[in-house]
Amino acid sequence: MTIPVPPDTLTLTAALLAVLLPLLSFGMIMLVFRHRRRLCARISIGAVSVSLLCALFLLIDHWHLNTPIRHTATWMVSGRITVSVGFLLDPISLLMLTIVAAISFLVQVYSLGYMAHDPGFSRYYGFMSLFAWAMLCLVISPNLLQLYIFWELVGLSSYLLIGFWYQKFSASTAGKKAFVMTRLGDVAFFLGLLLVLFNLGNLDILEMNAGRMPLNIPPATITLAAVLIFGGIIGKSAQFPLLTWLPDAMEGPTPVSALLHSATMVAAGVFLFGRLFPFFSQSSGAMTFFLFTGTTSMLLAATMAMVSRDIKQVWAYSTISQLGFMIMGLSAGGYAAGIFHLTTHAGFKALLFLCSGVFIHIFETNDMFAIGRAGGRRLKVPMACMAIAAAALAGLPPFSGFFSKEAIMGQLAQMANPLWLAAGLLGAFLTAYYAFRLIFVILFPRRDDTDRPPQNAHAAHAGNDGHRRAYRQMAVPLIVLATVTLVLGWGQAGLEAFLMRTAASVVHTAEAHPAAWLPYTALGLALAGILLAWVEFGRRRAAQIGFVERMPRVHRLFAERWYLDHFYRRFLERIIYGGISALCTRNDRRVIDGGLDALGRSTVAASRRLSLLHDAALQARMMLIFVVMALLSLYFLFA
Amino acid sequence: MIVPYSHVLLLSALLFVVGMLCAVGRRNLIMILLGLEVMLNAGAIAFVGAALRWQQIEGQTVVIFVLAIAAAEVSIGLALIVWAYRRTESLDPERLQDLDTAEPL
Repeated sequence: MTIPVPPDTLTLTAALLAVLLPLLSFGMIMLVFRHRRRLCARISIGAVSVSLLCALFLLIDHWHLNTPIRHTATWMVSGRITVSVGFLLDPISLLMLTIVAAISFLVQVYSLGYMAHDPGFSRYYGFMSLFAWAMLCLVISPNLLQLYIFWELVGLSSYLLIGFWYQKFSASTAGKKAFVMTRLGDVAFFLGLLLVLFNLGNLDILEMNAGRMPLNIPPATITLAAVLIFGGIIGKSAQFPLLTWLPDAMEGPTPVSALLHSATMVAAGVFLFGRLFPFFSQSSGAMTFFLFTGTTSMLLAATMAMVSRDIKQVWAYSTISQLGFMIMGLSAGGYAAGIFHLTTHAGFKALLFLCSGVFIHIFETNDMFAIGRAGGRRLKVPMACMAIAAAALAGLPPFSGFFSKEAIMGQLAQMANPLWLAAGLLGAFLTAYYAFRLIFVILFPRRDDTDRPPQNAHAAHAGNDGHRRAYRQMAVPLIVLATVTLVLGWGQAGLEAFLMRTAASVVHTAEAHPAAWLPYTALGLALAGILLAWVEFGRRRAAQIGFVERMPRVHRLFAERWYLDHFYRRFLERIIYGGISALCTRNDRRVIDGGLDALGRSTVAASRRLSLLHDAALQARMMLIFVVMALLSLYFLFA
Repeated sequence: MIVPYSHVLLLSALLFVVGMLCAVGRRNLIMILLGLEVMLNAGAIAFVGAALRWQQIEGQTVVIFVLAIAAAEVSIGLALIVWAYRRTESLDPERLQDLDTAEPL
């Protein structure tokens, strides 16, 4: 097992500052300064910017880290089991710390413009700080119990933020659905935790990753624990079958979608996979199962994105699909490739959502056709940034997405079964298709006689000062993220070296030297997808109907999310409500209530019998007296 | 003694039983009162015989007390019977049984 080193004072301070300041910000906003909106925003952004600076400092200071740094304090001790809290700094957690802090910072700055006139402005920034605290503590957790605690806290802040506009019924329903579905996965996660705890005695991550020899756990148990923990990943990262909560989660404000449901929270599942990669890779059966799940999610979600008209839903399905792709990469043994794609995806997916948010904010509609017709193409910064991000998503050079996708494809090519690579390539084609379908619909709208651009479009563009400032506050993060998307690709080698420095001893990834034809094939497929989208949506006389939409039954299958929601609804009604809760209700009514009622009734009946003694039966009582007297006199006479 | 003491006690016992049967076996409140009187007087007879047997005058004193008490008790008992008659329009003790569960006046 890797022996961790304790931190020096500077590292300790920086780490503690980075994770605890957002908590302080949350407390101050929610308890003290609720009524002062601008102050709340300043507190929150201030806290997260300090977190970002600390994270960057830690990342740069420990770029050449060879052994992980760990600092824990014992929280509870019970017999053989010790529960401790603290932090564990190794390359993956330092990287995630930076990603989370950076994207939180950019999204919070963006929200200044987006949420400017919202009545729940302070509450929004409070919850954003809560999320930042929970996510930052999650990525530095040294043991699975602390990770699980913050996993749940992240789920809580997701619930609070999805249902932010709680007066809207669909929003609160979506929040509840998200929470319940991820909770289902978390039950499996918890069972896996218990299994590991009973076999290992503690939940320390470094110990779990130590490799087969020190662990002494039978392989079947490792496989079972891995699959159960993966259940939590399925829930949190919206993989098949628990994927329908994520499109519904788009009810929340767009910055929330950008932060939580694309770049950070749903990535927590993939992060956990990377965290426990040595542990999982001991069980090849489990890894094959994960590969299968990731592939299924990737392809299913890509098909759903192909027919969606809602701009945010397309990116939501895309997130599910890309997370599946990351899981595919990790399951195929590509530790560095998967984490690199996580990093680049965080960048361009957040960018996609933030650009969409600008369109939604100005045109007040989510429908991409309506945005196109209303003149979305005239907003230069969002349109350009969205095109850049879509190109990264599709995997076009020189954007970051190209490098990370190629890395994963290379890993998939190493697998014995060519099926996985074929699935990956198909996924690349579909991704390019749906991404550019959206771009072309907005870029080349069909003008309809009945359409008039809404008043807001003109107002925002002609701009009074408030709108101009909001627009600028929203535009700056877009430009920052677009720049990152452009240059991150060149950091691939350095990043992979960084990640592998501590992991090389236990991560046995064969260096991916893919075949020469692979990058060209993948690129060719991406270009083919873009070409198909152009033919169907972009050309001057195209009908803007996709090839899937021409097949009504297939169209309906994809649009109804492969009837997953219908299945869930029917499952809920038949088995849960009709079966289990009906049983429990009957038990409650007949056994418990019935028993208590019978107790009461029998008491009343007995008392009725006994009250006969109260009757003023004069002569019967006198008779009783005389009988007793006679008996007593007999007794005294003869005894 | 002209009459042996055991005969006096026998008479007293017989009278007591008669009074008891009258009090318990008749469906009439006034008969209950009569039975009570008979029982009381039976006891008085026993006391007189005891006074004669042991040549002490206290026995007869007790009889005077018993008579006084019987008188007081009859007056109260008759008042109660009048109330009961007014309440239930009959002299049947069974009609008094359900008074506590019946509607108050």
